Amino acid sequence: MTRVVVDRELCVGSGSCEMLAPDVFEVDDEGVLAVLEPEPWDDDVPAVRDAVQACPTRALTLVD
Amino acid sequence: MTVDLDAAALDPDAVDLSDREFWVRPPAERHRVFDLLRRERPFAFFEEPVIPMLEPGPGYHAVTRYADLDAISSQPSIFCSGKGAVSIIDIPADLHEFYGSLISMDDPRHAKIRRIVSKTFTPRMLERLVGSVREIVDDVLATARRTAAEGDGTIDVVADIAAPIPLRVICDLMGVPDEDRAMVLAMSNIVLSGGDPELIENRDDPLAAFLEAGMTLAGIMERLAAERLERPREDLTTALVTTEVDGERLSSQEIASFFILLLVAGNETTRNAISQGVLALSEHPEQRARWMADPSLDRTAVEEIVRWTSPITWMRRTATQDGELNGHRYREGDKFLLVYAAANRDLEVFADPHVFDLGRDPNPHVGFGAHGPHFCLGAHLARREIAVTFRALFDQLPDLEVAGEPDRLRSSFVNGLKRLPGRLTGPR
Ligand code: HEM
Ligand code: SF4
Repeated sequence: MTRVVVDRELCVGSGSCEMLAPDVFEVDDEGVLAVLEPEPWDDDVPAVRDAVQACPTRALTLVD
Repeated sequence: MTVDLDAAALDPDAVDLSDREFWVRPPAERHRVFDLLRRERPFAFFEEPVIPMLEPGPGYHAVTRYADLDAISSQPSIFCSGKGAVSIIDIPADLHEFYGSLISMDDPRHAKIRRIVSKTFTPRMLERLVGSVREIVDDVLATARRTAAEGDGTIDVVADIAAPIPLRVICDLMGVPDEDRAMVLAMSNIVLSGGDPELIENRDDPLAAFLEAGMTLAGIMERLAAERLERPREDLTTALVTTEVDGERLSSQEIASFFILLLVAGNETTRNAISQGVLALSEHPEQRARWMADPSLDRTAVEEIVRWTSPITWMRRTATQDGELNGHRYREGDKFLLVYAAANRDLEVFADPHVFDLGRDPNPHVGFGAHGPHFCLGAHLARREIAVTFRALFDQLPDLEVAGEPDRLRSSFVNGLKRLPGRLTGPR
């Protein structure tokens, strides 16, 4: 099972992850990132990998 | 002295990135030089450009390889922005007040302010804005059509299309009243002209013109912020004056600085992506036809336009300690220019980097910055503006043609066009 881990110290709430994987990530009105699916479905995994790559502060990691 | 570019393309010793003439050369020539540096001198050292009335600094290294650039950008505590990110010279103390905002700040202050402003730039806030971007674009294009029809059919793609769109988006976003907008445009031009005398009226003293522009903009913004505190509205200014992080709000000074940053960072960049996107499409008609026919290309096409044009050529970082990076030894205080325009053509990362391919995927370009906390705050908004603009151009001005040579901005920092002659041949 693949899991998404956010480093809260690094996340700046840019929402790049949400643009790429909106089913998994959402930055709320307070600018705080919510991970909607901490264990994303297989369908979502490629988009989540893109999001991990694109995160400007490398705040996201995938743990297999 | 002017660089002989044929020689410079072969001999790294003949290259001088501090020569202003280099920056008005056509992009293809500049890229030949970047290719050479990337291959032979990935940390090439240059003396600083001469600026009247300022002591020249110690010089800088131009970083042209993608891997080196990304490594520097992702270690903000070793390579800081606080000594200046948008100028090669250190920011003089008297300019820091207006121009030393977010983009040239380090943690912990950067993190605090970024958290406040990023709340107002989330993807969901953006969704709410898209309708208004579309309205603005439609209105600007209708006006351009009228200008052409009432005149001789010609327009200036910069003044009539590319400049008004981002300016109106940002003014709408902030709630700037109509009567202040012409002033806001003139002042933001001065701030970002990088000292191009043609754009600054007060030629003898660009520094004074620079300061005055900052003061004028700050004045407009402080007035607006005070109004919103009393009578809140649905705009970014209201959000900025009322948002708190850890019980702290932005001061009116911080809001004014941020406004100036948004104007310069959000206007000229998007403007140049649009104007040079139009130019690139006219130079690559097969790519234009392909995109026009296929709206599903919007996503990759926008990224390729940003990679290809790299509207911000570089940002600066300064070493906070001695060390070594990918075989290059550096000392505390060394300045590095992260040359995004060069990294965006790195063969190690991009297949056929000098090919303009609107379907390029993946496209991990660094046009909005590389990894790190300063990554462009407005990237989502810019992507939206560019996508909406080109789709509307295809629908409403399909007859737009480039009708002459572009007039380039003499700036190393902004890859910009001052003018791009266009023609509307009329609906067929
Ligand atoms: C095609 C258009 C644009 C390009 C190419 C662009 C490029 C960049 C670059 C290269 C950086 C610096 C990254 C770094 O130092 O690591 C940056 C930062 C920034 N940009 Fe953009 N930008 C664009 C549009 C916008 C828009 C539309 C806005 C706002 C409305 C904006 C606001 C900002 C801000 C506020 C920062 C500073 C962020 C920080 O220091 O934390 N930009 N942009
Ligand atoms: S992309 Fe990274 S920094 Fe931006 S919201 Fe997602 S996790 Fe946070």
